[in-house]
Amino acid sequence: MTMTPRELIEHALKEGRTWLYEHEAKMLCSLYGIPVAKSRVAKSKEEALKIASEIGYPVVLKIVSPDVLHKSDVGGVIVNIKSEEELVKAYDRMMSSVKEKKPDARIKGVLVQEMVPQATEVIIGGIRDPQFGPAVMFGLGGIFVEIFRDVSFRIAPIDEEDAWEMIHEIKGFQILKGYRGTTPADIEALVDAIVKTSNMLTENSEIDQLDLNPVFVFEKGVKVIDARVILRK
Amino acid sequence: MSQEKHMESRIKYLFFPKSVAVIGASRSPGKIGHEILRNIVEYGFKGRVYPVNPRADKILELKCYKSILEVPDEVDLAVISIPAKFVPAVLEECGKKGVKAAAIISSGFKEVGNVELEERIVEIARKYGIRFIGPNIFGVYSAPSKLNATFGPTEVLAGKIAFITQSGALGIALMGWTIFAGIGLSAVVSLGNKADVDEADLLKYFVNDEHTKVVLIYMEGLNNGRRFMEAAMHCSLKKPIIVIKAGRSERGARAVASHTGSLAGSDVFYDVAFKQCGVLRALNVEEAFDWARAFTELPEPKGDNVVIITNGGGIGVMATDACSDYGLNLMELPRDLIEEFKKCMPPFGSPKNPVDLTGQAAYDEYSRALKVAFSDDRIHSIILLFCQTAVVDPPKLSEVISDIVREYKHCKPIVACYIGGEECQKAMRILEQNGIPAYPTPERAVSSLAAIYRWAKWKKKMLKKLKGK
Repeated sequence: MTMTPRELIEHALKEGRTWLYEHEAKMLCSLYGIPVAKSRVAKSKEEALKIASEIGYPVVLKIVSPDVLHKSDVGGVIVNIKSEEELVKAYDRMMSSVKEKKPDARIKGVLVQEMVPQATEVIIGGIRDPQFGPAVMFGLGGIFVEIFRDVSFRIAPIDEEDAWEMIHEIKGFQILKGYRGTTPADIEALVDAIVKTSNMLTENSEIDQLDLNPVFVFEKGVKVIDARVILRK
Repeated sequence: MSQEKHMESRIKYLFFPKSVAVIGASRSPGKIGHEILRNIVEYGFKGRVYPVNPRADKILELKCYKSILEVPDEVDLAVISIPAKFVPAVLEECGKKGVKAAAIISSGFKEVGNVELEERIVEIARKYGIRFIGPNIFGVYSAPSKLNATFGPTEVLAGKIAFITQSGALGIALMGWTIFAGIGLSAVVSLGNKADVDEADLLKYFVNDEHTKVVLIYMEGLNNGRRFMEAAMHCSLKKPIIVIKAGRSERGARAVASHTGSLAGSDVFYDVAFKQCGVLRALNVEEAFDWARAFTELPEPKGDNVVIITNGGGIGVMATDACSDYGLNLMELPRDLIEEFKKCMPPFGSPKNPVDLTGQAAYDEYSRALKVAFSDDRIHSIILLFCQTAVVDPPKLSEVISDIVREYKHCKPIVACYIGGEECQKAMRILEQNGIPAYPTPERAVSSLAAIYRWAKWKKKMLKKLKGK
């Protein structure tokens, strides 16, 4: 079933959510041509097994609940599941953990996602400022953004040149370019993803904040691993 | 003419009125309504002046009117300095009289919570097509029409910097300071509550004002960031805008539900918005006016190559460091230029960049080196440094330098820095009078030249982008 960005957002708002489920957020990214990690929602353990075999192990499980925005806090994310046995165990563990930590949470299912090989982690963000409207953010993942706040911003909409500057502006740029023999990351694909994020923000005024975090940057191409989209009430 | 264009066109009456009414003119010195009128008269406003006060016959030798409606002449600009609650009625009269622009000095509106009263005056102004600055302001100054309708200092120096300020007290203080520092202004606008005219309106005006070369804004916050960006982008393509934005440390009161949200203080947006539309953000007042002075006098550089000419090694190194900090390109001198510079100095001088003429350098050394720098097309900008020595009379050096810069028709940007005693202050004033921005430290000179490069670079990039579209 393909929805338009508008339908996706209106669907969530109609359900009383001011944020998109991860799979909805990723669908939104896909609709804008931003590559995302393969994933599908399973409504049962059996369905999860089926999807996992189609996607191929290892996989990641993530809880889908309208009452859980921060999935890790309730044990709602389990990574690197290598086999059917592991998936069954992980599934049960996740259900009991979520029930224990958030007893009243309505569980809609689990998201089964491919386990993407490690790459350079970046964050692409979006935010709406009351004065200047939509703005995009770029930074390197992990401690660079957490500790050093090494990020760059631009008021949207932006073009390729702006995105290119945003990437070059951060202090950790050298890490993307490659150092001590590491392979350089695909800057062009990153530029493309940032510009498309800017389009997503400017064309959907309901989006208040968004995090594509992390986005993996490979030698060739990028992939959104996790996405969060917060809507305006 | 469209309604919007018509309203825009009325802003010029703030700066070029043929006649001004001061409503709330007072006989008592020390009262705002008196000081504004006195400033208008004493500064020598070219047009006609009409004090309005129902309880006076004459103020400062001028016939006084009971109401603006009694003035037997057209009135272009009304300066209103009466208690806030009377402003709506008076503005209504202004409308009937056909007043085109107003400066509403009065306080006691939105800034103290009287939102409704402020909305009322906006409504009245719209109804009659009056454009106004304020309320809650100290007035407006316009150099070419010799209008000083402020309660700030009287003897403002005419020049090419348009100064827009959101802060009243700081604005008045800075007006005074520019006089002391010998800095000329084309206009001063106090914005106050910005109920009608705001920064964007004024940028749209100043971009086409032939008397203004650079716009300097003291800003606390914008009411409409996007509108400002549009106007600023348009203006920056033609004239540089320098902004001092206070409140850098302030964090936005935002519900933070995302990582991005937690990383975005409200100031971040101002910072990137400025960058994107070519606005140069100065960190403080000193820096802002340093840059503005450079923009007023200097041409755009034709290339990146900067040469430092100095009589001291230490100050040369400091300037070199500053160039590196501010991203200026110190030119690697080619062989033939090294030979040329060698001829300007004693054998123990250094002909590399910085060109060190040594402490024994005097007028002749400086003038020869300067001629080399001006006449060679590979050199695009000059930083001239001087440490006071007993072999040189600084004012005389300034005369010599000024003659050369004039001889070469100010064809390249040149900034100067003199370090020394009182004579150096005097000498730098001479340079300033001859269109050479001079600064008391090498860092300030370099920072000012770098501002010109930053603006030129942005403009080049933007023009290319616009051409591509």
